[in-house]
Amino acid sequence: MKQVPEEISVADPDLDPETWLDQYGDYLYQFALARIRNKAVAEDLVQETFLAALHGRKSFKGRSAVKTWLSAILKHKIVDYLRNKRREQVINDTDTVTETVDGFFHRNGSWKIRPGKWTLDPSKIYEQREFMDTFYKCLSDLPDRLSKAFMLREMEGYSTKEICNALQVSSTNSWVMVYRARMFLRRCLELFWFKKTKDENR
Amino acid sequence: MSHWMFNCKEVSRRISESMDHDISLYQRMLIRMHLLMCRYCARFRRQVLFLRELCRSRRLDESVLDTSVNLPPDARERIRQALKP
Repeated sequence: MKQVPEEISVADPDLDPETWLDQYGDYLYQFALARIRNKAVAEDLVQETFLAALHGRKSFKGRSAVKTWLSAILKHKIVDYLRNKRREQVINDTDTVTETVDGFFHRNGSWKIRPGKWTLDPSKIYEQREFMDTFYKCLSDLPDRLSKAFMLREMEGYSTKEICNALQVSSTNSWVMVYRARMFLRRCLELFWFKKTKDENR
Repeated sequence: MSHWMFNCKEVSRRISESMDHDISLYQRMLIRMHLLMCRYCARFRRQVLFLRELCRSRRLDESVLDTSVNLPPDARERIRQALKP
């Protein structure tokens, strides 16, 4: 065993990358594998996650549990991966999602594409791998910055101020971005999940 | 021009904003009143709140994990090397 200088060992085992690997390597791998059913890709994403964490650990400062922090990084990696993969498959995929929500409304501001009725049983939804697949697919359908803004806000619980810093936008901008993301995500789930299951259940 | 409380586009934007920062009591009351009249905005609200619940629930991600698989030893070693200073 190498002798570690006192102040480093006391400093924080939370900030030691090798400890992360020992403690959370399996968990992150399982997590990646659940979303991307490809072992090699899952391994790569886990490695990228640890490297990103290594570079970003100064800004981490224990704002959440290490495990939560690492999973958050991994989730961003997964969404990025899915987005890039689809770009390769579909040529001419210029952000299928338009940047505004205007298309959802008539000019007088009433709904044009009305929110449908969702019958959901949360306890059931949580057990369905396909549902999570759909959700991540929808996240990766969003333009990069919109999915980032949404994930920072809803998955990581960033405040407006933190989002503004992370994405270099104004407060108003950040609210609009998250609003758009919410609008498109709920529409995407409606199209690819709720409609589908309703038909199947009939 | 009519008041924003009769405009679904404006109301839905404010519903979303109210989840990201405090909006005035007055605005919240107007939203409430709109929601009593408009089932689509009410659905919108339920759905975006559901998205939030979805994202915050750890159960969601973890219920589908296969805990019997582990990071393969060679990958673990590769990552360990990559993390070395």
